Amino acid sequence: MSALRELLGDLRGPLLAVGAAVLVGGAFVLATGHNPLLAYGAMLTGDLFATLSRAAPIVGMGVATAIAFRAGFFNLGGEGQLVLGGLAAATVALALPEGGLFTVVLSIGAAAVVGGLWAASAAFFEFRFRVPLLVSTLLLNYPARLLASYLVNHQLRDVDSGLPQTERIADGVQLARWGGSGRLHAGILLVLIVVLVVAFAIARTRAGYRLRMTGLNRRFAQAGGVDLRRLGTSVMFTSGAVAGLVGAVQVLGVHHRFIDNSLTQPLWAWTGLMVALLSGSRPLGVLLAGLFFAAVQTGGFAMERVTEVPRELSRVLQALIILFVAAKDRFRLALARTRRAD
Amino acid sequence: MSQHPPTAAFELQGITKRFGEVVANDAVDLSVDAGEIHGLIGENGAGKTTLMGVLYGIHRPDAGEIRVAGRRRRFDSPLDAIHAGLGMVHQHFMLFDSLTVAENVVFGAEPERYGLVDRAVAAKRVAELAERYGLEVETGALVGGLPVGVQQRVEILKALYRQAAVLVLDEPTAVLTPGEQEGLFRVLRSLAAEGTAIVFISHKLPEVLTLCDRTTVLRQGRVTGTVVTAQSSAEELSRLMVGRTVSAPKIEPHEPGETVLKIESLVVSGRGPDPAVDRVDLAVKAREIVGIAGVAGNGQSELAAAIAGLERPRSGRIRLGSAELTSLSVRERRAAGLACVPEDRDGTGLATAASVAENALMGFEGRPELAPRGVLDSAAIDRRAGDLVDQLRIRTAGVRAAAADLSGGNRQKLVVGRELAHDARLLLVEQPTRGVDLAAIELIHRALLDYSSGGGAVLLISAELGELLTLADRILVMLGGRIVGELARESATEERLGLLMAGGG
Amino acid sequence: MELLGIFDATLTGSLLRFATPILLAALGGLICERAGVFNIGLEGLMLAGAFGAVVGSYFGGSALAGVAAAVLSGVALAALLALFAVRLRGNEIVVGIAINLLASGLTVYLLRSIFGVKGAFQDPALVGLSTLRLPGIDGLPLLGPLLSGHTSVVYVALLLTVGVQVLLFRHVIGLRLRGVGEHAEAAMTLGVDVGRLRTAAILVSGALCGLAGAQLSLGNVTLFVENMSAGRGWIAVVAVMFGRAHPLGVFAACLLFGLTESLGFRLQGLQLPSQLTESLPYVVTLASLFVFRSRTSRG
Ligand SMILES: Nc1ncnc2c1ncn2[C@@H]1O[C@H](COP(=O)(O)OP(=O)(O)O)[C@@H](O)[C@H]1O
Ligand SMILES: [Mg+2]
Repeated sequence: MSALRELLGDLRGPLLAVGAAVLVGGAFVLATGHNPLLAYGAMLTGDLFATLSRAAPIVGMGVATAIAFRAGFFNLGGEGQLVLGGLAAATVALALPEGGLFTVVLSIGAAAVVGGLWAASAAFFEFRFRVPLLVSTLLLNYPARLLASYLVNHQLRDVDSGLPQTERIADGVQLARWGGSGRLHAGILLVLIVVLVVAFAIARTRAGYRLRMTGLNRRFAQAGGVDLRRLGTSVMFTSGAVAGLVGAVQVLGVHHRFIDNSLTQPLWAWTGLMVALLSGSRPLGVLLAGLFFAAVQTGGFAMERVTEVPRELSRVLQALIILFVAAKDRFRLALARTRRAD
Repeated sequence: MSQHPPTAAFELQGITKRFGEVVANDAVDLSVDAGEIHGLIGENGAGKTTLMGVLYGIHRPDAGEIRVAGRRRRFDSPLDAIHAGLGMVHQHFMLFDSLTVAENVVFGAEPERYGLVDRAVAAKRVAELAERYGLEVETGALVGGLPVGVQQRVEILKALYRQAAVLVLDEPTAVLTPGEQEGLFRVLRSLAAEGTAIVFISHKLPEVLTLCDRTTVLRQGRVTGTVVTAQSSAEELSRLMVGRTVSAPKIEPHEPGETVLKIESLVVSGRGPDPAVDRVDLAVKAREIVGIAGVAGNGQSELAAAIAGLERPRSGRIRLGSAELTSLSVRERRAAGLACVPEDRDGTGLATAASVAENALMGFEGRPELAPRGVLDSAAIDRRAGDLVDQLRIRTAGVRAAAADLSGGNRQKLVVGRELAHDARLLLVEQPTRGVDLAAIELIHRALLDYSSGGGAVLLISAELGELLTLADRILVMLGGRIVGELARESATEERLGLLMAGGG
Repeated sequence: MELLGIFDATLTGSLLRFATPILLAALGGLICERAGVFNIGLEGLMLAGAFGAVVGSYFGGSALAGVAAAVLSGVALAALLALFAVRLRGNEIVVGIAINLLASGLTVYLLRSIFGVKGAFQDPALVGLSTLRLPGIDGLPLLGPLLSGHTSVVYVALLLTVGVQVLLFRHVIGLRLRGVGEHAEAAMTLGVDVGRLRTAAILVSGALCGLAGAQLSLGNVTLFVENMSAGRGWIAVVAVMFGRAHPLGVFAACLLFGLTESLGFRLQGLQLPSQLTESLPYVVTLASLFVFRSRTSRG
């Protein structure tokens, strides 16, 4: 029990936040002229396979963000790292159409390196010029997105398709698919492995210890001999590398080409960030929270089919949950008080 | 005006205040008359600041009552206390550095015209007030750039501007030069002559004896006596303060070994234009404890930060054995044989949210026996932390408990124990017993002496002269960033040190 | 010569137009910063304002109704921010991020439930802000297009810059605000209600961001597009840092960022790919940040 708590953190805060958000969201649905009970009921009927394939990028981006958060560094730049990773994966895959495991590994590796370098550049600005990561990581999203968009509209464009996208990558470089009407792919497994590796690294390794202590008290870690610059740069690189890897997973496993906006439209990075916040940046918590948010989103699609309520309700709910999470200590306090009053 | 009726300006009756299991104030009675300067003395941690916090509406007492000018009061915030005529000069000033003197004084009760601050009127009122009490200030100066002595005058003006009938000063002399101290005493006497009741907190006896009409002594949260100062003596007050004589640890006669730390013309930048550390030379030998005394803010913290590697010196050399430290990272310095007990226990010494074992691991995580091939061996880590807990008698629910759940003394023992365990050639210690209970103090002192006699070199920075006199073989005195004097154990006394610290001698 | 040629009326005419939304949001961020609140919700507040403006204009039938609705939307969302960040003492960065995501989700949701469209909403019934021609200045070369022919919101923003300067450095509230931001505990011991002042600062920033949104959706264009604030709130956050939380400094920073945006706009006319010209403001903002920081860290 206590081991579980150590891995997941205290679940009371997140659960309270979810409950509060459901209530507020319901009131909101009512106010916009719909029936919240019907809407929520329909939400519960989401498709399992759809949820799983949706969970992969969300959990992946959640872990990417969580790595930085746990060390006390902000990474709001997941979107740019994801996009550039996806673009790098597609470029390598298209350049080496023979396929084979080696090409897949190379393609994913390139994605991780590109995503990692993009994030590490923000760390460089922070340590060299004291540009706050919070702002630099976020602003770096826009040039990354626009650069990718430019390339798929020009040099990398599949002219015949008439769409802003690259050519389709060869079958041999695509990730294996099984069942679930083709929605389950090896990328989901890859993300799961990443989660487990990160969870182990943070909890059980020397580097993870330094990362955690830096996140808890930066001065303490520094005085103890942790090199903040080195740790920060490698943490940001790893964070960005995971984001880049998620981009590769989506490109090689789902789209089979790089399509403009396909990685930004679904808000994977931002949902992942919310998942990290909800779970207190604990990797296994990210897994749970990511599955939950994925379920909320597929539920949103189901709800939209059955009722008149737009599926963006799930986005509203997610944001509300994070608002309540931010104030969770206050809620727990209030709860403790009412309990004592009983 | 010189005749004032002997009514109590305020009375505290049976005040009890607990912080968790610490009883900071235990059924304290205190009564101060109008026109009286009342000393409140006691060792660090005796509960002086807490008691005044209760009076000033910062802490809610667990028991007891407060009367001001005969009326029973309940203060929910400092604002209530201000309205009742109380003024407080906090140990840590409550000033806005970027605002002017006048703005600081009138803040919250500004003279205004059409909603705009009437700066002319504000400056005039503050100048008048300053003039009347001999508190020299320049009303238009920015407070951040002023010397502490002047900042303290601004704090007093703030209270006077709000027409305080009771003025509490918490350790006001801790930061003052002797000249400034004289000036402060003059001001306080003239305020008292006009009928203001003054509480003067200190743990230094000579100044209490010269300034105060009556003195109340606190020891471990309890009043051990209230005396008319003129009829008392340093001996009596000191007995009331300390109670039992702390068993001074035995110092074996010993010969220091080879030089371990050698600092040459070290200069460290400060916040202002003047360097915080100015051309300091010093050396510490093996089996030697060298103390650094000085009024807070004279460069001790910056000196320590430069040695520890948390601050880059402007020039000079720091040699540890054969290694030149100035170009090394913190980790390299530790590898070269440095261990540090930082001044800010919870801000630098610990990650309070982490467990005791994790806190004990910091700096040792590189050892292969604790993290073979980079993977933490939690059994070994816990065992090691357990040994530390036993050795230093740290009271904790277990090595997996959060450091935050430990008392201040036990947290300090955890930091000291961890740094001692490095078996480093040089131990840099800052304020090792600040805010720590007596039992822990004795244990920490014993541990430092053992460390030194075991061959270690110790550089001890402390604000407690008693601690320096007990432990140090030599004491250096810092003033304005420079070393202004050195006393050997045999010739060092509290008086001589005080004189050097104040710039005399 | 070719290069200098881009400094024409198109460029100067669009400068203030582009600078205004950033300036208004930055003034809001500046007031919060001075009160000791790091408000990174500017982006979301501005987006809420842009959407509110379109709703108000569409249903109220006038640009004024649009502006009023924009300000109300900004204030309403800011109230949520204040509730969670100040009253419930949530982490202001987490709350700010949540507010941004909420604004983005909410506007898309409402766009669909109110107007039944996705992506963008444009309708002849939308009344945009009319532009004012300044007599005497209008005809002048260069200065004319620079200063004249803007919406009233642009001129209000200029006046507000002066207003904020006076408020902060002359008014009693400004003095207290700065005190609260610098040393909250000290302000509290002098009887100033820290929470109330901070809440007020956040609400004012909501109103200013609402106005900024109105300029975006009823001034620069007359339509609403999903996420049309497009990072301008974040650029405003940088402008506050760059201008050292000083109204005039922030104003200068906003002019610079406005200039890069209008430069990008102008360059688009020269057949440069839009993706490259659009990234100009973000790149310049980032660059300004480390030029500025490295200068101060050495100085
Ligand atoms: N806010 C607090 N929380 C917990 N313990 C406190 C707090 N303030 C003071 N204490 C404890 O109360 C005791 C008295 O402290 P204090 O009043 O500051 O002593 P003094 O001012 O005489 O040095 C000390 O043991 C200190 O650690
Ligand atoms: Mg004290």
